[in-house]
Amino acid sequence: MNARRANAEPRWVRLTLTAVALGFLALFLGLPLVAVFVEALAAGVPAYLSALADPETQHAVLLSLVIALVVLPFNVLFGVAAAWAIARFDFRGKSLLTTLIDLPFAVSPVVAGMLFILLFGARGWFGPWLSEHDFRIIFAVPGMILATLFITFPFVARELIPLMQAQGREEEEAAVSLGASGWQMFRRVTLPNIKWGLLYGVILANARALGEFGAVSVVSGHIRGETNTLPLHVEILYNEYNAVGAFAAASVLALLALVTLVAKTIVEWRMQKETAMLQADLPPEAVRSEA
Amino acid sequence: MSITIQNITKRFGNFVALDGIDLEIPTGELVALLGPSGCGKTTLLRIIAGMETADGGEVLFSGQEATHLHARDRNVGFVFQHYALFRHMTVFENVAFGLRVKPRKERPGNAEIRKRVMDLLALVQLDWLADRYPSQLSGGQRQRIALARALAVEPKVLLLDEPFGALDTKVRKELRRWLRRLHDEMHISSVFVTHDQEEALEVADRVVVMNHGRIEQIGSPDEVYSNPASPFVYQFLGNVNVFRSRVHGAWAEVGRGESAGDGETLAFVRPHEIDIEHAPVANGLEAQVQDVHPIGPVVRVELAHASELIEVELTRERADGLGLAKGQHVWLRPRQVKVFAAPEAAAYPLEEGGSGI
Repeated sequence: MNARRANAEPRWVRLTLTAVALGFLALFLGLPLVAVFVEALAAGVPAYLSALADPETQHAVLLSLVIALVVLPFNVLFGVAAAWAIARFDFRGKSLLTTLIDLPFAVSPVVAGMLFILLFGARGWFGPWLSEHDFRIIFAVPGMILATLFITFPFVARELIPLMQAQGREEEEAAVSLGASGWQMFRRVTLPNIKWGLLYGVILANARALGEFGAVSVVSGHIRGETNTLPLHVEILYNEYNAVGAFAAASVLALLALVTLVAKTIVEWRMQKETAMLQADLPPEAVRSEA
Repeated sequence: MSITIQNITKRFGNFVALDGIDLEIPTGELVALLGPSGCGKTTLLRIIAGMETADGGEVLFSGQEATHLHARDRNVGFVFQHYALFRHMTVFENVAFGLRVKPRKERPGNAEIRKRVMDLLALVQLDWLADRYPSQLSGGQRQRIALARALAVEPKVLLLDEPFGALDTKVRKELRRWLRRLHDEMHISSVFVTHDQEEALEVADRVVVMNHGRIEQIGSPDEVYSNPASPFVYQFLGNVNVFRSRVHGAWAEVGRGESAGDGETLAFVRPHEIDIEHAPVANGLEAQVQDVHPIGPVVRVELAHASELIEVELTRERADGLGLAKGQHVWLRPRQVKVFAAPEAAAYPLEEGGSGI
């Protein structure tokens, strides 16, 4: 038998654990992904393409992208503001704010959706006022944007808070003492330092915005060609026994997920590189003696 | 620019960081704020810089009220213990930062910025590193870049927070001499915070010794070392022997033991201010040699008097002349004794031998 390091596990243990992990991944992640594309293409490529060309499917794709595009800037704004407040200042209620940021993670998306119906529905708190002014939130796109906002709020802030806490405020103080205004400090010092973390949070929020089902489902009203996002559309098609249509739409979602995954990996890799660069402490070197 | 600090107080919750600080820093002086950690020296420096707001009191720059002036308008250069270089900028851009963020009409052109940055980098002898990133520099190099960056905006005051604290001993010694020369060339007022007495004594024109949010003593390095105003200063600056003693009229009878009542005092004697004699001397203290340690140019002798340890430092020549051996009985003659009333002294925990250099 080969000599092995004293602290290494026996070969069979390592092999078994690896096999279990890989098997699990293949069964629960790989297989469904393959199944989506196999089912989508079951009736041939032309059927797949015509399913994708369906106006309602295209509208669903468009609506999903629009919602994500509207939601993300708010996420950036709120995430940076919240992370800044929590990482840089001490104030009363700071721990409460930190807990509140996590609320959307804790609440079931369906409950979040119900919450908006309660507020803006026909019999909700602001319902009568809204119908008087002929403005629809529930069973319309504004409600779906609100619900998606609620669900995706934590991602950017969660990503930035530990990052900004770790970086500290000395660089910002240095910038101010050198005469920088608040905006100059943010744009030239803070933002470059948090950009990869910010992007990472945005990617996660984007993935969630595109894939959100529960909360959006409650407030959408499932009006075909109007308030169906991609995930909702997949369900409707599937319930109508339109397997090719459902899986074709699902394949678009899966592709978006894969794109997100690649983007996430690239950003993670950049972040690691940058962190490694920061931690590369070279040994101190003696001052060059002067002539 | 002179700095005047009037009755500054600062609390963090229940902790009193600064308790009525009054301080005058004249133009062109290099002043050290010296004290143990938690004594409030960094807080005071940050209040001067405008990075912290005092709860009460005033800060004046050249006699002008500056207490509520924003940090960016104070025209102070600040150097941090951990450098705080902008990690995503090259060395050149770090130094250029203060010039680039100036309002458009005051901002120099690119050629002018380039010239000034390269001049500053030459001043700190690191012009060959202009295109590197901070992470590619050693600690000493980073701190010199941080200094160049602070000097770029031509500050009237340079504030340094433990500037050499994160560096190793050799680099630290070279950098502080270099800082002294730089200060003399630039003709600005500088204030630096340190907990290292040797650093303060070597570099500063004046030393401000702080403890528990108060100033214990302000004076030249020589004054604070040889004429400490309080037991704390005595113990913080260098080694010291502490004797319980009684005051009889004008002189103190030195000797530890059973003294009580009004006259109780503590006498402080530095190890190098005690002489050792073989023959009995007037006002001398009999002691027994416990150990003799030659340390470089000096010889440290440990002696016992009534089971208490006394430390004496002799020059090598003197020690060789005496030819001390373990167990020998000798007489100690203090050349200089400083006596403080016990209640005042008792406010400070007395560590045997004080803090070492």
